[in-house]
Amino acid sequence: MLRWLAKRIIAAALVVFVVTTLVFVVTHIFTDPATVSLPLEATEEHRANRRAVLGLDRPLSVQYWDFVSGLVVGDLGESFWQSQPASKLVFQRLPATLKLVGGATVVTVLLAAPMGMLAAWWERRFADHAVLGFSMVSISAPPFWIGYLLIIVFAVQLGWVPTFGSSGFVSLILPSVAIGLASAGRLAQMTRRGIVEELRKPYAVTAMSRGFSRSYTIVHHTFRNVASGFVTMTGWELTRMFTGYTVVIEVVFAWPGVGRLAIHAIENRDLVLVQAAVVVLATLVVVTNLLVDVARRLIDPRVDLA
Amino acid sequence: MSTTGDNGRTERLLEVKDLTVGFPTRDGTVLGVDGLTLNVGSHERLGVVGESGSGKSVMGLAILGMVLPPGRIMGGSVRWKGEDVLDEAVANRVRGREIAMIFQDPMVSLNPLKTVGAQLRELLQRRVGLQGPAVRTRSLELLDMVGIANAPERLKAYAYELSGGMRQRVMIATALACEPTLLIADEPTTGLDVTIQDQILTLLRNLSTELGVSVLMITHDLGVVAQFCDRVQVMYAGRIVERAPIAEMFADPQHPYSLGLLKSVPRVDQAETELTGIPGEPLDRARFPPGCAFEPRCVEAQDTCQVTPPPLVRIAERRWVACYNRPGAERTGSDS
Repeated sequence: MLRWLAKRIIAAALVVFVVTTLVFVVTHIFTDPATVSLPLEATEEHRANRRAVLGLDRPLSVQYWDFVSGLVVGDLGESFWQSQPASKLVFQRLPATLKLVGGATVVTVLLAAPMGMLAAWWERRFADHAVLGFSMVSISAPPFWIGYLLIIVFAVQLGWVPTFGSSGFVSLILPSVAIGLASAGRLAQMTRRGIVEELRKPYAVTAMSRGFSRSYTIVHHTFRNVASGFVTMTGWELTRMFTGYTVVIEVVFAWPGVGRLAIHAIENRDLVLVQAAVVVLATLVVVTNLLVDVARRLIDPRVDLA
Repeated sequence: MSTTGDNGRTERLLEVKDLTVGFPTRDGTVLGVDGLTLNVGSHERLGVVGESGSGKSVMGLAILGMVLPPGRIMGGSVRWKGEDVLDEAVANRVRGREIAMIFQDPMVSLNPLKTVGAQLRELLQRRVGLQGPAVRTRSLELLDMVGIANAPERLKAYAYELSGGMRQRVMIATALACEPTLLIADEPTTGLDVTIQDQILTLLRNLSTELGVSVLMITHDLGVVAQFCDRVQVMYAGRIVERAPIAEMFADPQHPYSLGLLKSVPRVDQAETELTGIPGEPLDRARFPPGCAFEPRCVEAQDTCQVTPPPLVRIAERRWVACYNRPGAERTGSDS
């Protein structure tokens, strides 16, 4: 197990390295940070100046070495826009994003697992159709729209929660739900399908033929067998959250997270800061996948140790 | 061969009458089991033999009141010691505790994510009510009973760590955990090596004798029936076509289908017999003929066989057959 874990961690580190290199390629070869950060009417002289200031006139290999060695010690360069270390800006915002993703994951799992089990328990009956209906709506509705809807109903009309910003647990509820609903819809359907399939398998039929009830069999026999898939899918949903949903929802709810920071960085043509945000979010995705692998290994002893 | 099974005076345990199981399809309802009638007495080993698709496996589960959706039980009754098993409350009591089932494929019939010990523990705690150290003691005893060496180690094993024969032994141990009175064995040796098949059958026979457990053996294999059962019923297209004590079935099969089955397997007790197959193909269950289901393949078929299915009638002491061409069987429902 330890050897396996060590291998996984090394593989994850490699992925992070490749991703950061790609980020460097995109920001330094496909675009010119100096041009991007200057107004359109800037002269060639201005640009040359800016390049010198940013060290962009040095050979690419030197810049790349700078970038990588900076990464190792957590230095992601200095933001043009805020004149502060980009890593500091990103890490300041990171807890808010993690809280949001955490909240959304809790919403996702707490909705998806029971709904999937209920739908499977009452296969082709009312509860099953109700869960399917919920899933269709939640998957089809764009998260930003759900976000605005929640704000209008619960913040503006009912006044139960603040309309925007991060102020304690209560303010976390709406954005978490806005992100988590679609994920919950997808996961509930996957769980239901998985359990219905598992219930037809001989081991589940055997369990019921020994006198265990359908609900007991679902909870104690089949759910464990779909849990591996459930965890994998939850991991994918987390990935989507980090790279997409949080960005949108942080803007809708004026949530002070990394996603909104990235949007502001783009608006202010701050390539260094964008790059820093992307590197951090990509690392989170890789870490998520690593945790998923570990969880699957713990659930299913048959997962390959290689 | 068992002696108790042949005296005809055993206590009746399981009585299945006119059991019918239907599966809705695009072309209407297909009957997986069509008016099945059978009885199993105490200390009896009954075989039900038929080819794939004859409704044998559906029957096994239906006896426990279980049918995989979208199928459902459409009629008939299943009585266990006089109680109605199709009543869910009775079924919950009977399943596992009175009637336990073992299945065709031990590879997939054990939960892949639970250890052998966990699966036995679950049964012993929740279905038998054992607590504390008694659970482990009994688990070891059960594994010992089904001939698994090194039982304490095996308790910690997952199904995928065991061989096929070993898995079927574990299956049998879980079936015996609640001390059932009847064991339904659905193709318990299919997919196992011949030597392992023999071991498993011997184990089942010894256990049924020692523990006084009746067995309903569902199989396509006449060899298994010959080796194991006291009585046999031949099933075709969801219906019983013949019922006889084992020796009489092999010596003097009455139904044309039974005859065909026996001719299609090699016999060591009869020299120089030629093997022949049954002409035609297994019935397409969606196109059910109105008359005898075997009529399209039957060498003795006559026009009247196409009108109504022949009833199962008694032709001699403990012998029943469903064929119009046999003495004693009344030709009913014909146009004349």
